[in-house]
Amino acid sequence: MTDKYILKKDHLLPLLRKLKKTHRLIAPVQNRHGDTLFTVIDNLDEVRIDLENQAQNSLKQFFFPQQETLFSYSNPAGDSYHFEPVAEEIPPTLYFGVRPCDLAAVLYLDVVFLKNAKDPNYLQKRQNSILVGLNCNDPFASCFCNATRNGPFTDCGFDLQLTDLGDRFLVEYDRSRGQEIISQWRQFFAQAGEQDVKAQYQAFLEARGKFKLQVHLDQAVKKLAEDEVPDSVWEELSMRCQDCGGCAYICPTCTCFTISDLQTSDHAGERIRSWDACTFSGFTRMAGGHNPVDRQMRGIEKRFRHKLQFDVKKDNRPSCVGCGRCVNICFGGTDIVRFINMTCCENS
Amino acid sequence: MAGLATTFGSGAMTNSINEIENAQVMLVIGSNTSEAHPQVARRIFTAMDRGARLIVIDPRRTLLARRADIHLAIRPGTDIPLLNAMMRIILDENLADDLFIEMRTENFYGLRDMLYRLDLEETARLTGVDLAGIRAAAQLYGRAQKAVICYCLGITQHVCGTGNVQAIANLAMLTGHVEKEDTGVDPLRGQNNVQGACDMGALPNVFPSYQQVDIDDYREKFERAWHACLPSQPGLTLMEMTHGGKNGPLKAMFIMGENPVLSDPVQARVEETLDNLEFLLVADIFLTETARRAHVVLPAASFAEKTGTFTNSERRVQMVRRVIPPLGQSRTDSDIIMDLSARLGYAMDYESPAEIMEEISMLAPIYGGMQHDRLENSWGLQWPCWDRRHSGTPFLHKYYFTRGKGRFVPTVHEPPAELPDEDYPFLLITGRIYHQYHTGTMSRHSALLSREAGEALLQLHPGDGRRLGVRSGDLVRMRSRRGEVQVKAQLTETVKAGEIYTTFHFSEMPVNRLTISAKDHFSQCPEYKICAVHLEKV
Repeated sequence: MTDKYILKKDHLLPLLRKLKKTHRLIAPVQNRHGDTLFTVIDNLDEVRIDLENQAQNSLKQFFFPQQETLFSYSNPAGDSYHFEPVAEEIPPTLYFGVRPCDLAAVLYLDVVFLKNAKDPNYLQKRQNSILVGLNCNDPFASCFCNATRNGPFTDCGFDLQLTDLGDRFLVEYDRSRGQEIISQWRQFFAQAGEQDVKAQYQAFLEARGKFKLQVHLDQAVKKLAEDEVPDSVWEELSMRCQDCGGCAYICPTCTCFTISDLQTSDHAGERIRSWDACTFSGFTRMAGGHNPVDRQMRGIEKRFRHKLQFDVKKDNRPSCVGCGRCVNICFGGTDIVRFINMTCCENS
Repeated sequence: MAGLATTFGSGAMTNSINEIENAQVMLVIGSNTSEAHPQVARRIFTAMDRGARLIVIDPRRTLLARRADIHLAIRPGTDIPLLNAMMRIILDENLADDLFIEMRTENFYGLRDMLYRLDLEETARLTGVDLAGIRAAAQLYGRAQKAVICYCLGITQHVCGTGNVQAIANLAMLTGHVEKEDTGVDPLRGQNNVQGACDMGALPNVFPSYQQVDIDDYREKFERAWHACLPSQPGLTLMEMTHGGKNGPLKAMFIMGENPVLSDPVQARVEETLDNLEFLLVADIFLTETARRAHVVLPAASFAEKTGTFTNSERRVQMVRRVIPPLGQSRTDSDIIMDLSARLGYAMDYESPAEIMEEISMLAPIYGGMQHDRLENSWGLQWPCWDRRHSGTPFLHKYYFTRGKGRFVPTVHEPPAELPDEDYPFLLITGRIYHQYHTGTMSRHSALLSREAGEALLQLHPGDGRRLGVRSGDLVRMRSRRGEVQVKAQLTETVKAGEIYTTFHFSEMPVNRLTISAKDHFSQCPEYKICAVHLEKV
């Protein structure tokens, strides 16, 4: 007896239909323009869940929205302020088709938003979420989660985890909520045999050999820790950076935000949190105009140091999860893979 | 437009944007590409990654100039002498493509004779660049097999704009750097659809597809299609319309999606012209400085609210699709025009944008095969696309130029209309920055873009700053013979001593109060790039 189960591919949709009765369902869906995005599914029969392509967005936007009202405030009498939390009902949500990189990213967001002071907005969205993952048999063109060591397969952090074995999925659970789903919908899950487990190992072995990029992340981490990255690398990358902020917005672990107050009337307003990017000059510019960071020479430095140096020092792991989205989106070729390659080539 | 039309026969990028990645040498002149055309700059970077060399000719040490193998910090307005000097060096060093010149061009002797009369030392002195640098650039460009020239408004917004473009065309033809893939002359367009507007005849002298109004066959074709009598004389150019003054040629204007109060030179003159119209109608998505002066403003729909096509810099016609219905009382441009036309007594009954496109493809030969169904599920088609079997044209002038043979038009230096003197000692260059778009009608509504660049800055050389007692962040008064503004200084070595640079994005600092109305004789494009100003600390 193992803790592993088999779900026939033909039974996936019926299972999701059952789960959708009690949960909001979010999964990668290919839209009519051919783009695959994690999307809230209203009607399972009208969409095509796409497990062949990488979703262009990660789960970040669902837990940490691009723009979010934190609270509203009012000052009716003109003397003392009254604060009101924004009451937004977040239904229990099931995220389906979460790749190991995106799963690792959510676990990283947990550290950012829940480790010390607990962020109530994040907590509310996170605590009633169920993560159903999918291991990657065929890493995508820009993937390098083997270098960040959170993929292509994962064995922890999920509620349920699926591995594609051709006509069936091998199903594992790590958290009690996953186990509950299996016991509640027992008719969908058969006990996995030894052959199935062997097939999973085989898929894992094969997947590890399919990465197209070779990324020496460990070396870059070491060079950063020893302060051996030459200025020319920062300079070259900062000058190439086109300042679009795409890398930070699409990154599943970038959590920089800015706070602004939106006045809604003479005596009331809302405090809003929106995504920001450390590469923007306005992120570090001070009142009076001085900017401690010369954007054209060092603008991109913080981004890579944060991911590969400061977080390693703090949590003993880099906060890049190797999803490769920034590689795909970057205009000027200043993504993290180029940084790592440049860093590793410069001194050799 | 006029420059390439007279030399090649077609005024558009000869290459596709992607082809730039494969060039061996890129000559960027009069273009701050990484700020104004990031998608093109990205291809330039990729080409450099693959070993290509970059030459930048620009008075300012822009970000791109800093990355260049050769940067020639030219004195503003001396592009023709510099290009002529390069051509002379190419002739002297036997780098000209004789076969290409023989087979594909005409009037080479006219150019050659002019170049041989040139005093190289003297010409170099005029440009403020040392001859060795010009020689290195000429050799690099002349020897390359695949070379592209990218240029932009730093070339065209001069009194000699047409001449500048002709000099560029001469250089490309002299070395055989046209008519091929990954090789050519690429004017970069500044707006998503400015190429499309020109293609559709939003020019004074042509119908769609560049069919001249004064050629009877063309005009009669459109008269038959539209059941109307059409003028055989070219209309007015932009500056003739917005600079007419009190007794201008126009009584009424209908302005769509343009903000001439901020974007045209000599603001006072534009305001006087608009205020003296009997009727001013403006259609825009926001209440612009121009719209505020209108008798009637029609709220227009944004890109997300309408279906149609945009034609980009590389002649690619792409679909834009309606995502949401027009908000509030706003309406699409085509709805506005059709309704207006109907009320004026001429019915325009088009059921859909697709029907309009069908008419375009019938009347405009270069759009011949471009119906919506062909554009819908693709990245679009590049003109010329003659019929429905044609797959579009990635690069122009294959086998022969549009006009038959490429024509060398020798050009000589024409000094700028107004150079610095004792009273107005600084040379002001106007341009654009990355985070704002044109007069800010749209981009200034973004809080993030405003945080990144929310006010106009005047780039001033630190040496000049010291002399004037101005530090970064100080307010300076900038005065020309036409007006004055106040602006915050930013000391930087991006500009040379004696030259200053600022942008026209911000209505609080309308720099076009200062600019000059002098314009190119052929294209009527104003000289935004050079005027003389006086500076003092406030």
